[in-house]
Amino acid sequence: MEQIKQRSNGNVISDETIEYVGILAKLELSPEEKERAKKDMEEMLDYIDKLNELDTAGIEPMSHVFSVNNVFREDTVTNGDDRDNMLKNAPEAKDGSYQVPKTVE
Amino acid sequence: MKEIRNLTALQLAEKIKRREISVAEGVLASLEQINSAESRINSYVTLDEEGALEQAARIQKQIDSGELTGPLAGVPAAIKDNLCTEGMRTTCSSKILANFVPPYTAEAVRNLKKAGAVILGKTNMDEFAMGSTTETSAFGITRNPWNLNHVPGGSSGGSCAAVAAGECFFALGSDTGGSIRQPASFCGVTGLKPTYGTVSRYGLVAYGSSLDQIGPVAKDVSDCAAVLEAIASYDRKDSTSLNREDTDFAAALKDDVRGMKIGIPRDYLGEGLESEVKSAVLTAAQALEKKGAYVEEFDLSLAEYAIPAYYVIACAEASSNLARFDGVKYGYRSKEYEGLHQMYKKSRSEGFGPEVKRRIMLGSFVLSSGYYDAYYLKALRTKALIKQAFDRAFEKYDIILGPAAPTTAPEIGKSLQDPLKMYLGDIYTVSVNLAGLPAMTLPCGLDAKGLPIGLQLIGDCFQEKKILQAAYAYEQTREWKSCPALEEQGTEGFEKERAMKIASEQEAGA
Amino acid sequence: MSKEYEMVIGLEVHVELATKTKIFCGCSTAFGGAPNTHTCPVCTGMPGSLPVLNRQVVEYAMAVGLAAHCSITRHCKFDRKNYFYPDNPQNYQISQLYLPICRNGGVEIETSAGKKTVRIHEIHMEEDAGKLIHDEWGDCSLVDYNRSGVPLIEIVSEPDMRSAEEVIAYLEKLRMMIQYLGASDCKLNEGSMRADVNLSVRELGAKEFGTRTEMKNLNSFKAIARAIENEKNRQIDLLEDGEKVVQETRRWDDLKEYSYAMRSKEDAQDYRYFPEPDLVPLVISQEWVEEVKSRQPEFQEEKMERYKKEYGLPEYDARILTGSKYLADFFEDAVKLCKKPKKVSNWLMGETMRLLKEREMEPDDIHFSPENLARLIDLTEEGSINGTVAKEVFEKIFDEDIDPVSYVEKQGLKTVNDAEELRTTIAQVIQDNPQSVADYRNGKEKAIGFLVGQTMKAMKGKANPGMVNQILKELL
Repeated sequence: MEQIKQRSNGNVISDETIEYVGILAKLELSPEEKERAKKDMEEMLDYIDKLNELDTAGIEPMSHVFSVNNVFREDTVTNGDDRDNMLKNAPEAKDGSYQVPKTVE
Repeated sequence: MKEIRNLTALQLAEKIKRREISVAEGVLASLEQINSAESRINSYVTLDEEGALEQAARIQKQIDSGELTGPLAGVPAAIKDNLCTEGMRTTCSSKILANFVPPYTAEAVRNLKKAGAVILGKTNMDEFAMGSTTETSAFGITRNPWNLNHVPGGSSGGSCAAVAAGECFFALGSDTGGSIRQPASFCGVTGLKPTYGTVSRYGLVAYGSSLDQIGPVAKDVSDCAAVLEAIASYDRKDSTSLNREDTDFAAALKDDVRGMKIGIPRDYLGEGLESEVKSAVLTAAQALEKKGAYVEEFDLSLAEYAIPAYYVIACAEASSNLARFDGVKYGYRSKEYEGLHQMYKKSRSEGFGPEVKRRIMLGSFVLSSGYYDAYYLKALRTKALIKQAFDRAFEKYDIILGPAAPTTAPEIGKSLQDPLKMYLGDIYTVSVNLAGLPAMTLPCGLDAKGLPIGLQLIGDCFQEKKILQAAYAYEQTREWKSCPALEEQGTEGFEKERAMKIASEQEAGA
Repeated sequence: MSKEYEMVIGLEVHVELATKTKIFCGCSTAFGGAPNTHTCPVCTGMPGSLPVLNRQVVEYAMAVGLAAHCSITRHCKFDRKNYFYPDNPQNYQISQLYLPICRNGGVEIETSAGKKTVRIHEIHMEEDAGKLIHDEWGDCSLVDYNRSGVPLIEIVSEPDMRSAEEVIAYLEKLRMMIQYLGASDCKLNEGSMRADVNLSVRELGAKEFGTRTEMKNLNSFKAIARAIENEKNRQIDLLEDGEKVVQETRRWDDLKEYSYAMRSKEDAQDYRYFPEPDLVPLVISQEWVEEVKSRQPEFQEEKMERYKKEYGLPEYDARILTGSKYLADFFEDAVKLCKKPKKVSNWLMGETMRLLKEREMEPDDIHFSPENLARLIDLTEEGSINGTVAKEVFEKIFDEDIDPVSYVEKQGLKTVNDAEELRTTIAQVIQDNPQSVADYRNGKEKAIGFLVGQTMKAMKGKANPGMVNQILKELL
């Protein structure tokens, strides 16, 4: 009961939301993990909602902290064939390629 | 060996240069300490004894031939296990990367190798740098050398514990929201998070790309400056790398703070700060004042908004950065699955620990359709406001001084049950990452339990030299100069008394 | 009476740019390498690797944008598009959502319905994905990251097209423009140009758009036309049956001539875009725009005018020759070598087009060299071979790109200019064809044609026709 009361004014994460986020994040959670994830996320979101106290009207979102622009490389080939090196960590490889479960029916 | 172990990195290099100590002897001193202390501390995920001795032989030759003359030539170092090392596994302390052997070396590590450092191995950390205690590692917890019942902090807990315990002479860490500064503070060592873009991130396994910086963990301020000088570089492989010309950081080591304006944010001294920490930090500020600095308290503002903004941004970026761990190209793949999507889900669910999953879930949610503006953009706007607040502060002050963390190192097992509470411990460190600023922590005392207290100095962007200068000047006033190392092998439990004893020994020697 | 419907079509066209290296790393973009031989930590999504933008990609994107009358976004950024798929090594694609490099343009097309402008909503830069090869027998797919990170621009049109004909005209216009810029070879069959068709139907005269679907996997103009027709009918059938069109992505199977929905409950289609933190913003100055502008090549219209003026070519020929950048370049190269623009044009418009049609090829498939065509023209001009032989030799050039000079030499195809030899042969022809000779002498001028023909036949076509005529008249 206390849990529900605590949540009455806060964010409520539904089963569907946790399911949906699991699909986005490609994570499979056990029923217990899901309950825990709901609770954690609700708590975090309640806390994050603190940001709503701030008036950020007219403030440009800052994605990059420094005004460094235009970093380029020139269009010249610098890499050779390094396939074996790239593939050596592959859990499954075949014919010089990364092997995955079939992606088409 | 103990004499060697207690040298700073610069002192060791100097003795190597003067042929008083060989490179191999330095390496052996570290290895001996590792052998005796690792079973209790667990700083390392991967140790490369053989490789270290081989490097030692090679570097010795290069020193002898005059090829290597730098201040760190021949010094054994440890690398946080989220920095890629060619041929040496790089796990991020995660099951999902337990067998990952990178085909290339991180730029910062390459720079260290060029400077002649001997790489001993890779240090433990919170999984993917997500945590404040090094308890989320898939390779066991790391213990605080000052008191084995306490955490070393995190996420660079392995690096900081290794330096504190004398298992290496310095180490590299990474700092996304305090991951160098907080464990350095808990372990009584000196750590620095440089201005964003100063050290190349190429080869650093990303957590929050816009916040991550690699930095040194060292025994004292001089070592810290020397290591930073070695690893800082303009790297064309990292688009966010900055081309700086003022990276002669050792030049800043002057025992002079006369006229320096130091601001202490009142927001950093408020509720939640342990009184012992507060008084140690204020005592340190007084020491600087005595040396001629001008110290005052001021309102930085917005401190309480930094943590929510930080967790939104860091988790959002992490959810994307960690998407690549899917069992296709490298790392763990579940043994049993049916079809592609189950392979993804099972590999990731089995490969990641709970804290990483928690942050990926939160990050995926705040970016998802319908929430992006409310959470992510709001956080980026808050970040802009925080940057503005720092800009205003640095119009008045040369540096900002405060604690590194509200408390000293918590006991093992006390933090993870309540993640939010653990996140709140980042209150003094995260805003620095949001604003891209340089900051360092160095020890400024011990609490009643004998655990180190850290002093944090924050500079305006590109002003590492100012914080190094203030730190150096403060260090000269400190009763003990460098951190104590663990005592000889066989010690049953490294208790606070022993740490205190070493501290006072050093004090006596000073 | 059934209602009348119209289609509303917008296109998303992906074009692989003709850079030497990938968009974010120094790996080659060369086609056809063994799997994963053009890969590195960046384009295989290794942990810790970081992207660095290829400057040429920006220049090509700007050039296309300027040619399509777009405005260039002065401050633009890259964003991450997050989705899991094995061809996408980082499980996010670096693209541009919020601030694409070009916006608000348009190209003019001409169809049987007349001229119209198809507006371009935006052009953005992004990286291509790798390739999946499906094991026929096994239960697995194999991933090749050679194409992963190859630079793309995506050209997004407004829903301005109303027919397959307009769609094809628009694509042909884009292709020609981009080929002229050298920004891509735009081959649909190789995937260097790919069009996704957004299509909805509505009752003729309706103001509102219907629900649209997105059609993928269209590898030729023919497939596009077929898919459009098919999707139009499918949607109309649904509406006529009182059902609703579902907004979805469909995949076209050109062999079976039908499409199917590409839906999966494991895909949420929620891409969680956010600014790419590993790349810095792009700031494009006016000077840079001007610089790119000044390098823009001569496009079709200007080139056509020049061909008419400079070479005296008829409008029709000039239009065909400039209809493909490849053909125009070929034409100009050959003209440079032999200095005979009209002859070059004749060969291209005549025999070349004939053979292309016969062999079901496009002008861009021409694989003989302008040098060999120029040599052939020289041979005919100096009278070394006659027209009949030239056509024969040309077909050899067209198929095998042989050197006509040595070929003619080796095969003994040189025109016989030896008057004595001709005289002997002609005397024989006159003797063998008394009727024709008589006809000629009786005023039937045409009869000489038969005798010329007989002479040529006797000479195996190698005789100089002018000389044959002259000697025949003399002897008669």
